[in-house]
Amino acid sequence: MMPNYLHTEFQKILDREYFSKKVHPIRRKAFDSFIEDGLPDKKCEDWRFTDLSAIKKGNYRISEIDDGPTNKVNISKYGLESFNTIVIYNGHLQQDLSSVPKGIKILSNLEYMEHNNWKVNQPDMSPFDLLNTAFMDSGICLVIERRIEVDAPLRILFICSGDEKIMISPRIHIDLEESSSLTLVEQHVGDCNEYLYNGSVIMNIEDNAQLEHIRIQNNSKTTINMGNLHVTQHQGSNFTFNQFTLGGRLGRTNLYADLIEKGANCSLNGLSLSNDDQHLDAHIITNHHAPHCTSTQNFKSILKGRSSGVFNGRSIVQNKAQKTDSNQSNKNLLLSKDALMNSNPQLEIYAHDVKCSHGSSTGALEPDALFYIRSRGIDQDSARALLVRGFGSEIIEALENNEIRDHITNYFNQWIDKNKQ
Amino acid sequence: MLNIKDLHAGVDGKEILQGVDLCINPGEMHAVMGRNGSGKSTLSNVITGKEGYNISKGDILYKNESIIEWPPEKRALAGIFMSFQYPVSMPGVNNTYFLKAALNAKLKNAGEKELDAAGFLKLVKEKLTELNMDTSYLQRAVNEGFSGGEKKRNEILQMLTLEPEIAIMDETDSGLDIDALKIIANGINKYRNSERSFLVITHYQRLLRYLEPDVVHVLIDGKVVRSGGKELALELEEKGYHWLES
Repeated sequence: MMPNYLHTEFQKILDREYFSKKVHPIRRKAFDSFIEDGLPDKKCEDWRFTDLSAIKKGNYRISEIDDGPTNKVNISKYGLESFNTIVIYNGHLQQDLSSVPKGIKILSNLEYMEHNNWKVNQPDMSPFDLLNTAFMDSGICLVIERRIEVDAPLRILFICSGDEKIMISPRIHIDLEESSSLTLVEQHVGDCNEYLYNGSVIMNIEDNAQLEHIRIQNNSKTTINMGNLHVTQHQGSNFTFNQFTLGGRLGRTNLYADLIEKGANCSLNGLSLSNDDQHLDAHIITNHHAPHCTSTQNFKSILKGRSSGVFNGRSIVQNKAQKTDSNQSNKNLLLSKDALMNSNPQLEIYAHDVKCSHGSSTGALEPDALFYIRSRGIDQDSARALLVRGFGSEIIEALENNEIRDHITNYFNQWIDKNKQ
Repeated sequence: MLNIKDLHAGVDGKEILQGVDLCINPGEMHAVMGRNGSGKSTLSNVITGKEGYNISKGDILYKNESIIEWPPEKRALAGIFMSFQYPVSMPGVNNTYFLKAALNAKLKNAGEKELDAAGFLKLVKEKLTELNMDTSYLQRAVNEGFSGGEKKRNEILQMLTLEPEIAIMDETDSGLDIDALKIIANGINKYRNSERSFLVITHYQRLLRYLEPDVVHVLIDGKVVRSGGKELALELEEKGYHWLES
């Protein structure tokens, strides 16, 4: 079950001199666990609808210095030009193109480990967590100190480029100290042929701090994007996650939100657009460990061609988490007969005094609605576009930052234009 | 304006309209009355081009042209409008955006200059005032969360904005209280002139008290069994439909 190429690549990463040998045991442990379990197949409940054979057969190699940019990288074509940006090109941090807003302290992975006396939590919820730990590179750690409110959004821009089959494993840690705040944009772009992104973003939000995380996945349609997101929320903290995915032949988001202290709130939202043979999967787990927390999951997919999608949302309410308020919604729009959506919203409740709800619906455009619009003189394609836009706009309209909202609206409109027939 | 000739139409192999003849001249208001299942809604759907109906015989002429092969949008652009019995709600589709897109489709088709946001807003605000509607309507999603009366008013707003030449009012009075009914009837009456025609489809004579049609038709089992002046509506109210059945 184990892709052979990984052994060679693992040795390569251990041999890299510029990484501290102190990391080796952590890598080794994760790698061994990964090897032991292998990549999951469809018998595994969490991976029932997502085929990983492309990764098994992939023959990916880790990114080398030569995979960095040969010419000056122009990032203006990726929009959001006014944002401070950290640019990671084929796994390599582009220092000269990068800047961060005032108030953010940046550490390397190594410094971060030292800073935390090597007691850094290494997630192991999914095999891709282990794979990331084994191969972690391009590490960035952001610390927002107590009471610092970073007004300007920060973007981390992942660019993949070239024809080589590269695997990159970025490891990002974000620590928001008490009463601090940050808006983070994680943007994936690129034109490469083959590429396996297996990145982990590990977030810790202390008391009354706020993090807004916007994830835009617009990779080329031949790439694979595995996003592992872990967030730990402390008392009264707020986490807002808005994901917009339209790229990749295979895209999967594993989001684990742990609400470990009272009064924490998280709002997790997503819109996926797929066509041709794309497969986009959202695996969203909210775990309530403490009382008086609220959580929402609101995910939508629009599917065309022979594309497929998964929403696997789980909200777990532990027995101490009384007065939890949690709701889940998954709505999907199928624009072709061959598109397939697997929707699986789940509640797992061990407390007795909670308010939880969930719902799911999947369907085609309403013929009555199409007729209604056409009866007002609007042609069929435009009528379809109007309804598709209406379906997705709820998620986009909720974005507070105008520039981000316009940027995503633009992507959405382009997608609709291409897919309206 | 609209000339329906020996129209036979059905759905799923069942013939619902069994030879309807109807001729509406410019400036005329005709009412079609009938019970549930008499074919009233089929008639309005077939005129406006809803898919799923099979026309086995007869024709619909609009300004002397057969329209039965036309898609719904072409009929609309030519000046045919229907106020729906059950207006569809469209979550996420902004009412202003929708109405502006419809109006601009019409203007573009007529070779006229499309309206920008400001121009459109000015125009639509005038119409809102006529219908006693506040501007909050414009911010909402089309018919989403609207009450019965609000939905019907929104239909009339669309009619006043799109300025059709013939408007089919399909059960416009259903679900309306008397105040809403008066506002809507008033909106329709103001819109009437010597050029514009109406086909009012209704169960009851209630709406006709405010609209005063030129001709009233009675539809039973997919056929017009009697036509007459507005007094026919009163007669129906008194006697029911039974006396007209063969």
